[in-house]
Amino acid sequence: MIFQEGPADTLNYMIAGYAVILGAIGLYIVNIILRFRNLRQDEALLDEIDAEHA
Amino acid sequence: MEHKPKALTVLNWLTGAVFVVALYIVLIWAPQEAIMGDVQRVFYFHVSAGWVGALAFLVTAIVGGIYLARGEQRWDRVAQASVEIGVVFAFINIVTGSIWARPIWNTWWTWDPRLVTATIMELIYIAYMMLRRGIEDPDRRARFGAVYSIVGFISVPLTFLSIRIFRTIHPIVVGSSDPAALGAFDMTVDMRVAFFFSLFTFTLLYITLLWHRLRLQVKMEKIEERKLRALSS
Repeated sequence: MIFQEGPADTLNYMIAGYAVILGAIGLYIVNIILRFRNLRQDEALLDEIDAEHA
Repeated sequence: MEHKPKALTVLNWLTGAVFVVALYIVLIWAPQEAIMGDVQRVFYFHVSAGWVGALAFLVTAIVGGIYLARGEQRWDRVAQASVEIGVVFAFINIVTGSIWARPIWNTWWTWDPRLVTATIMELIYIAYMMLRRGIEDPDRRARFGAVYSIVGFISVPLTFLSIRIFRTIHPIVVGSSDPAALGAFDMTVDMRVAFFFSLFTFTLLYITLLWHRLRLQVKMEKIEERKLRALSS
């Protein structure tokens, strides 16, 4: 037990791993939000066009 | 504009809260692994991401079959939504696996059966998304997607079973690992709690994202329809 080494120092890899996980999920959520926003803008424009034709 | 259902708002908050708790559990509460150190903590979300990928592709195959049987467009919408989420989470699974492997196997990549089959599975579903866009007719596109997703699903159990069928250095979480496996460890009770809570968290996250992505798909189709009507008039 005297000569037993402790766990390996792999904290940086853990940080990198969680950066990828949170980054990828976060980017996907932002992507969905932005797509919703773009669709709302398209919808507003279509409402204007329909109002003009009415 | 359609308002977001109250249930979805509740689900958003619930998923967010559960995710924060899961982060606390895996990063702080769960014990440090005796040999690998902190990089072992990546395992909890790495496996959970892989689980969501597999679940998403399974859902895609099932609704693909239902679409072929019934011809109802809503099943194709679910397929599209689910595949996209599956691709994202399978990507997370592959990349985090690589990050874990660097200090443990001393390499970012090796031609191990699990890594190869997981990557092939990811490429199959990326191809699904790309090929669909090349088909203009919605019915043909949906039918193609349904057949492709059913056939492509073969890659999912193959990926899961690869570490049990072939010689591999990838550790097995449930059951005994191949003696050649590097990085295998026995989970303590606390680690099991962290592991299963992570699986639950990611499943909840999948359901939440699927609901949002479905709403997005419905909205996209409605806007597309209105654009076509506006152009034709």
